[in-house]
Amino acid sequence: MITFELNGQTVMTEDPPDTPLLWVVRDTFKLKGSKFGCGAGLCGACTMHMDGQSVRSCVVPVGNVAGKAVTTIEGLSDNGSLHPVQAAWIANSVPQCGYCQSGQIMTAAALLERNPNPSPGEVEDTMAGNLCRCGCYPRIKAAVLAAVDATNAVEEAS
Amino acid sequence: MTLQHVSRRSFLAGLGITGGGLVVGLTLPGCSSEAPPSFPTADFSPDAFLQITPQNEFVFICARDEMGQGVSSGLATLFGEELDVDPARFEVNFPGVHSAYGNPAFSGIQSTGGSAAMRGHYLPARQAGANVRSLILEAAARDLNVEKSKFSTVDGNVVVGGERYPYASFIATAQTLPIPEQSPMKTPGEFRYIGQDVPRIDAAEKSTGEAVYGIDFDIPGMKYALMKRSPVFGGSVQSFVKDEIERMPGVIDVVQISNGVAVVAETFWQAKKATDQLQIEWDTPALAKFDTSDLRADYQQALDEESGSTTDEEGDLTLAFRNVDTQIEVDFWTPYLAHAPLEPMNAVVKVENGEAEVWTSIQGPPFAQASVARALNIDKAKVRVNNAYLGGGFGRRLIATHVAEAAEIAAATGHIIKLIWTREDDIQNGVFRPASLMRMKASVDNDGIINGWTAKRVGGNILPDRMVGALPVVAPDFVPDGVLNSVVGLADTTLSNWMVDGSSVEGLAGDYDFPNRVTEHVTVNHGLPLGYWRSVGHSYTAFAKESAINVLAEAASIDPVELRLKNTRSNARQHNVINVAAERMKAMDAEKVGSLGFASHGSFHSYVAQVADVSVHGADIVVNKVLCVVDCGRPINPDVIRAQMEGAIMFGLTAALHGDLDIAGGGIVQSNFHDYPLLRMNEHPEVEVIIIDSEEDPTGVGEVGLPPIAPAVANAIFAETGQRLTSLPLRFS
Repeated sequence: MITFELNGQTVMTEDPPDTPLLWVVRDTFKLKGSKFGCGAGLCGACTMHMDGQSVRSCVVPVGNVAGKAVTTIEGLSDNGSLHPVQAAWIANSVPQCGYCQSGQIMTAAALLERNPNPSPGEVEDTMAGNLCRCGCYPRIKAAVLAAVDATNAVEEAS
Repeated sequence: MTLQHVSRRSFLAGLGITGGGLVVGLTLPGCSSEAPPSFPTADFSPDAFLQITPQNEFVFICARDEMGQGVSSGLATLFGEELDVDPARFEVNFPGVHSAYGNPAFSGIQSTGGSAAMRGHYLPARQAGANVRSLILEAAARDLNVEKSKFSTVDGNVVVGGERYPYASFIATAQTLPIPEQSPMKTPGEFRYIGQDVPRIDAAEKSTGEAVYGIDFDIPGMKYALMKRSPVFGGSVQSFVKDEIERMPGVIDVVQISNGVAVVAETFWQAKKATDQLQIEWDTPALAKFDTSDLRADYQQALDEESGSTTDEEGDLTLAFRNVDTQIEVDFWTPYLAHAPLEPMNAVVKVENGEAEVWTSIQGPPFAQASVARALNIDKAKVRVNNAYLGGGFGRRLIATHVAEAAEIAAATGHIIKLIWTREDDIQNGVFRPASLMRMKASVDNDGIINGWTAKRVGGNILPDRMVGALPVVAPDFVPDGVLNSVVGLADTTLSNWMVDGSSVEGLAGDYDFPNRVTEHVTVNHGLPLGYWRSVGHSYTAFAKESAINVLAEAASIDPVELRLKNTRSNARQHNVINVAAERMKAMDAEKVGSLGFASHGSFHSYVAQVADVSVHGADIVVNKVLCVVDCGRPINPDVIRAQMEGAIMFGLTAALHGDLDIAGGGIVQSNFHDYPLLRMNEHPEVEVIIIDSEEDPTGVGEVGLPPIAPAVANAIFAETGQRLTSLPLRFS
């Protein structure tokens, strides 16, 4: 039995400890927003936050998650509200097929958490770990920078 | 903890059965009027394009599959424009199989491809919306006892005498009336949504993780299956050791099916670990000693020694290639490619009492239906298909092999089966973009007129390969299976050796005046599965054609853009996009980082020209910026068009800079994104899109931005380095 925190709730699973976190979240806890793309940590479609760091959940054994706090796309924002990155994604009509976007958004949100003012180059370098087969890169970059501006505007106003 | 998103289908089912709303059945022109399928229990009415709830909510059934190209936004815009409902208000759902959902511009088939959605539905979808609005007004006239002509409408409300009535107020009466036909439609001057940057209606659910893809279907009781397939194309199972695999944790069954061996387990991970341990003896098919070097040698020999079939001939080539003309001859190579949509192939199939139900994401539910019917030897009517958002299509999801595999496993084990392909399965068992070797020969006279053009392509044909999947879809049910099987077999073997698929040579001699020209094709088919890959033949012919145009211009010391303008007099719209791009190129020349390259190519009834700004650092090719000019007729949603040009350019750059599949021992060498890399964020160029303001009927945008990018980059590399690269991916040897 492995216990960890999933989107603020304590959860327990009997999945074997070598089961990747992705499949535990998707199939045991039925949160389908995180996606399977490569199974090898190469594409980023499965990106979640573990204790605030973005991780490739398809290569993180759930045994390593015991006692940690995991956030998925479903838990990124409070009930009914949107994270500034999600709001920027919608405003820029970023998604095409959308399959990679949960992972893109989780990577971007973790970046802004540790670096609220990334340069365009830092955005490109960080987001380079997340593949988008539809080629939404120009809009992903624009949306991350728009989220930076929006967050700064809110902070200046308050 | 439960799934946080509400199933869109259960939402719809609730509306359809208990909601008391209006379900409007609409038959598109040319469609049959058969009753909606009711098998096994209809939880929604598939002959409906629209449901209006008592709360005045609008559920739009999107006839085309949404794989990212924005078709749900596009069709909702067409329908909403004439219905007079803001498309942003639509709840969008995707239907199962029904002939009402065919695309008139796609041979009437219920499938999504060929960049044909706006072209096929521009008038029918608007007409359907106009007819429903007219029905609502007729009902309002009766309910309110007011003349119909006194009404106007505003965003789902009937307005009369300063009062607003939701459309839903009139659904009880509307249900008793016949749907009007040929109701008048708006003039373009009256459009409120068409031509505007209407926000994508799927952006929110695709930014919150709520959007449901095929891989997200979670059917109670389902078991997970993974498969091992032959490492050599065409191989079959000789033997395998079952017992120790069946003893592994969670493993339920190990079964042989037509494509290989499947392991069924309680969880994906248990199935994965067991499949990795599975030892299979395969036979040794003919391709077992086949490598990329054999492929290249066979193609080269065919190019040099065989004349092939003439697929296009015009004018008199004896008038060309004279001593006074400048002449060139160049060979171009393009490799096999996998589609690699980010959502790997997957399907859930339930088989029970001689009937089947499928949950998947596919470019055409009938392909899934027909594949399962054939795999299980049951009638198509006994197979019900549920579709969802596609995590990328690009042509890959026109093929339903994986759905048939899941059906076979379900039938063999008696379980509801969720089959998931790994990324390795996807790269190595694709239906590949065919490899091509092309010889372009051209001559230009002293006036800059291209007076001779011959193009010869060596490679496989897609269509005979794909008839295996397509024939059962289009064949009437009364054709006995035995006959169908023999026709399919004929397509698979006999036809592939003599028939030239139009897509094999499309674009090789297109766009230009070319008064004297010949296109030849030599079919060399080694038996790898072939499929339609975004922009199909144009994905390689544009590279050969537009590179050759520049080689010819360089040989004749003519500006390559000038040569294009001089030789597109008979093709006004292509001529125009070249002209517009050439004007913008002058400004780019002052701002450029590296060197500029030009290419233009028309496809899918649209016209595109591109300029690439490219730098070369050692062996590294850096694409700094791309300008794209597109004429796709009347723009329905300019922002979606821009997104499709951006995306197609990135997709094309993956092919231009990275895409390569090697064959060794009769199988694909590459296996995942480490050795089959896709373009990444840090490699992407800035993209500027200019959309021609046209009043022609709308045409395709999903594929047309792709073909010109590889030659534009190759032409820029020549300008930057003086080296002419003639193979994809572009590499310095």
